[in-house]
Amino acid sequence: MRLWHGLLASLWTTLRQLRRRDTLEYPEQQPKLGERWRGRPILTRDPDGEERCVACELCSAVCPTHCIALEGADRPNGRRFAQSFRINFARCIYCGLCEEACPTVAIQLSPEFAFAKTERGDFVYHKEALLIDGTGKHPEYRYYDHAGVRTQALPEPRNCDPRSNLP
Amino acid sequence: MCRKGIVPTRCAMAEVFYLDGEAIPFRAGQNVLEAVLEHRQESSIPYFCFHPAMGSLGACRQCGVMVYPHDGKHPPRLTMACLLPASRDLQLGRAEAKVQHEHQLISELLMRNHPHDCPVCDEGGQCHLQNMTVASGHAYREYEPEKRRYQSQELGPLIRQEMNRCITCYRCVRFYQDLAGGEDFGVFGSRDRVFFGRLEDGPLESPLAGNLAEVCPTGVFTDKVYHQDYLRPWDLEESAGICPHCSIGCNTRPGAARGHLRRVRQRSHGEINPHFLCDRGRYGFRYVAAEDRPRQAQAGGRRQDVDSVLDRLAARLAEGRSAFLGSPREDLDSNLALFALARVLDAPFAAFFEPWEEAKAREILALPHPPAPARISAYAEILVIGAVERVAPTLPLFLREAHDRGAAISLLRCLPSPLTALAGEDRLLPPADLLDAAWEWLGQRHHRPFLLLIDSESVGPELLHLLRREIGTWPDGSGILPVYRQGNLPGASFYAVDGHASRLRTALAGNDYDHLLALGQDPQEMDGLWWRSHGDIDLSLIDHRRSLSWDDVWLSLPCAALSERSGLYYNGEGRLQAAAVAYTPAREERHWRPELGPFPLAAGGALREELLPSPVELCRALAERLELSERWQERLRFYRDFLLRSAPRPGDPGVFLPEELRARFRLHSAPPPRATDQGWSVCRFSHYSEEELANGARELHSLAPASAAWIAPGQQDARQVRLRAVDGTSRTLPLRELPDMAAEVLAIPRAELVFLGLRPGDGVNPEWLD
Repeated sequence: MRLWHGLLASLWTTLRQLRRRDTLEYPEQQPKLGERWRGRPILTRDPDGEERCVACELCSAVCPTHCIALEGADRPNGRRFAQSFRINFARCIYCGLCEEACPTVAIQLSPEFAFAKTERGDFVYHKEALLIDGTGKHPEYRYYDHAGVRTQALPEPRNCDPRSNLP
Repeated sequence: MCRKGIVPTRCAMAEVFYLDGEAIPFRAGQNVLEAVLEHRQESSIPYFCFHPAMGSLGACRQCGVMVYPHDGKHPPRLTMACLLPASRDLQLGRAEAKVQHEHQLISELLMRNHPHDCPVCDEGGQCHLQNMTVASGHAYREYEPEKRRYQSQELGPLIRQEMNRCITCYRCVRFYQDLAGGEDFGVFGSRDRVFFGRLEDGPLESPLAGNLAEVCPTGVFTDKVYHQDYLRPWDLEESAGICPHCSIGCNTRPGAARGHLRRVRQRSHGEINPHFLCDRGRYGFRYVAAEDRPRQAQAGGRRQDVDSVLDRLAARLAEGRSAFLGSPREDLDSNLALFALARVLDAPFAAFFEPWEEAKAREILALPHPPAPARISAYAEILVIGAVERVAPTLPLFLREAHDRGAAISLLRCLPSPLTALAGEDRLLPPADLLDAAWEWLGQRHHRPFLLLIDSESVGPELLHLLRREIGTWPDGSGILPVYRQGNLPGASFYAVDGHASRLRTALAGNDYDHLLALGQDPQEMDGLWWRSHGDIDLSLIDHRRSLSWDDVWLSLPCAALSERSGLYYNGEGRLQAAAVAYTPAREERHWRPELGPFPLAAGGALREELLPSPVELCRALAERLELSERWQERLRFYRDFLLRSAPRPGDPGVFLPEELRARFRLHSAPPPRATDQGWSVCRFSHYSEEELANGARELHSLAPASAAWIAPGQQDARQVRLRAVDGTSRTLPLRELPDMAAEVLAIPRAELVFLGLRPGDGVNPEWLD
C-alpha cells in the first residue's frame, strides 16, 4: 500500500508540471530580466536631463579589462562632462565594477545582453550610443546637490566673507 | 617653527627611536615625522602641514603619536610627531586604538567643510587629503551641517583656486611668502573664515607660483594648464625629463598620455632642484602644442614633402658651398650629428652666430667647476650681478635660504629685482659699470669662500674673463655660477668654440659659401644687423618652432621637439644629464578600421603617430643622400666616444664635463666691450617667462609684458623712443616707466636689441617722440 502511494504521488507531481513551461522561444519571445541584471553599460541623465557623468575616470580606473576610455571638459557654467566616452564591448566582461565605482550613478548596467557584430571595430561604442535619455535605476539622484561645487544650476549660496570681523 | 635646510646635511645615522616597536634611525635635529618619512616610503603617520622644505608648523594636528615616558611616573601622552624632536630610545605608539581614534577625529574635523567633489577635482588621484583620510580610516561624519562656502579668486592663466576645499594647513602661504618671497598672496580672515589668496583677483606675480599646485595637499590650487588637457594622474605615463629652458637644468617629470604631453612636474634632484620648479619649467613645455608650430617642410615658403626638400638640400650641400650652424638649446647628439656632417663635408661649423656670444660661451666653459645651484645656500658671501632671477627663477629660493642662514648678499643690478629685500648691499648701475663695481666688491677683503652669481646675458665676455682669471687668488671653495637661458650651451659649443663664429661669418661674407644650414637657431634672431647686410645667403632651417625667418627662407624642415626625443644636456655647472622621451605625439582615430593595424588600445580607438624626424635622423638622411653615410657615422661615433666617456641614463644624477676639456678654453684675452660714451645705454629687459621655446607656450607667454622700452620714472616725458641701427634702420618703441631701475638706461627686449645690432651696455642716442 505504501509503495503504491509513493508511486502514484510522484507520478501525480510529475503530471502536475505538464502545463508549466520555463523554456521560452528565444529570440521571438524575450525574457523579462531583473533590474539588476548585468548587461551592456549605459550612461544616464539626471532628473533635469543633464548628463550625469562628470568624467572622474573612476570607471576606467577600476575596469579590470581597461575597456573604458574617456576625457572630460568643462561646460561654460563650470559643470564637468565627458567630452568623449568610449567602451570597447569586445573586451567588456560585464562585471559591473564601473557601476559600483561611479560616484554620480551615471554609468549603469542595463539588461541588454546579446549583441553581435561582424566587425571588431563596431564593438567600440561612443558616447552618443551609450547615453540614454532617462535616469535609469536612480530616478532622483543629482550629484551636484551633494558635491558642494557651484554650477549655475544651484541657487547662489551665502558666501563666507574673510574680511568680516563679526564673531 | 623649525626649518630644515633645502640641502640635507649628511651625517652618520647612528641613533634610533622606536615606533610601535620598530627601530627608526634619525639624525640630530630631525623631528619624529621627518625621520619616519625618510625611513619609509609611505608614512604610517598621517600629516598635512609638514613639508620637507618648509618644516613643521603643527597647524593641522593630524600627526599625533603616543609618547611613553621612561620614568614610569607619568602616563603616556599624545604629541604631534612633527613638533617632537627625535631623541634616543624614544618609545612611540601609532597603531593603538586611542591614537587611531584621534586621527579619525582630526580627519573628520578637516572634512567638516571639505566639499564632496573629488570626482570633479583635478587633485583626485594625487590628493594628500584623500590618501590621509583613507589612511586614518575615517569615512562617515556624524555631524553634517551646511558647509562653509567661499568665493574663489581668479588667479591668472596658470593656477586655479577652489577655496572651498581648503583645510587651512598654511602650506601655500608659507611657501609663497617665506620661501618664494612673493608679496601678492597672503592669508586673510579669522576663525573658520581663514582665506588664502590675493587682495584682489589677478595673476600671481611670483615666477614660482606654479608650485602652489604641488605644495597644496588638496585641490585648492590646481594646475590650470593641465586642466585643459586633463586626464587622471594614474593614466599618465611619466618619464625622467630635464628642463631645457635655462642653464640650471632642473629635473622634471613630464606626464603624457594618448599622444599628448599634459603636464610637467618637478622631480627632485638634491643638487639642482630639491623641491621646487619655476613656472617657465612647469608651463614652458606647451611650446610643443603651439598653434604655429611648424609641421610641414617648406621650400621658399611653399609646402613640400620632406623627401623632396631633403633631396634639394643634399644636392645643395654636395656643391660644397654650405656652412653649418648648431644651437646651444638643442641636445648634444643633434649638435654632434650636424657637426659630424660638417666635418665629413669639410665645411665651416659654429655653435653660435655671434662672435660676442661665442666668446661668452668660451668663458663659461673655462670656469673651473661652478658650484651646484643647491649649494648656493651654503655660501656666506654672495655677489649677484645682473637679473639672475629673471634668467633662472629658481635661484631666489636658494638665495633666500642663504640669507636666512646669515649670508651677506650684495646685488649689482640695472633692473628692479625681488632680491633687493635680501641684499645687504644693493647698487643700481648702468650695465657698463657692472664690471667696475664687481671689481670693487672683490677688492674688499673676503676671508670666507664666496660665490659670484652672474646673469651672463646682461654682461659681456670681458667681465667673465677678468673675474675668472682671479679665481686662483680667492679663498678655497669660491666660485662663479653663470646663468643663461640656453639649456645646453656647453654641450653645443665645447667642440666648436674658439673663433668658429668669426670663421663662419668670414666664410659666408666671402665668395666661397652662399648657403647656411642652421639647426635650432635662426641667424636673423641672433644678429639681425649682420644678416640684413648679407641678404644674398640662402638659409635652410631645421627647427621645431616657427622662428622669425621660417616662412621666408630657402628651405625649412620641421623636426621633433625636445620632449619628443631623448637627449643629453649640459647644464650651467657642466653636468651632463639625460632626458628620456617624454611622449610620442599622436592623434587618436575615432573609429578603428582593420587598415589601421591591430586593435591597439584596450578601449578601442587607434593612435596614429605624428612624429616628426629628429635632427639626428635628418642628418642621417642627408648623409645617405650624399653617400657619406659610413664616414658620417664613423665621425659621429668618434666624437661621441671622445666626449662621453660615461653617458648618463635618464634619472641618473649626471656626470661632469672633464676638467681637462674645460682647461682647453682658458684663453688669455676676451673681446673688449665697445666704447660707450657717457649718456644713455641699453640693457636687456626680460620677463621670467621669456625664453626661445617657452615663448611658444601660450598660457605662460600671456603673462609677459608687451614689447616696450623701459626707463626709470621721471626721466623723460616722451611717449615713444626711436633707436637707430648702424645701417640706418630704426625701431620705434613705446616708452614705459619701471620703478627702481638705473637712471639713463633703456631696458629693451632681446628681439629689439638683436634687430638693432646692440649688446647690453652699448651706448645709444635715443630720439624721444611724443
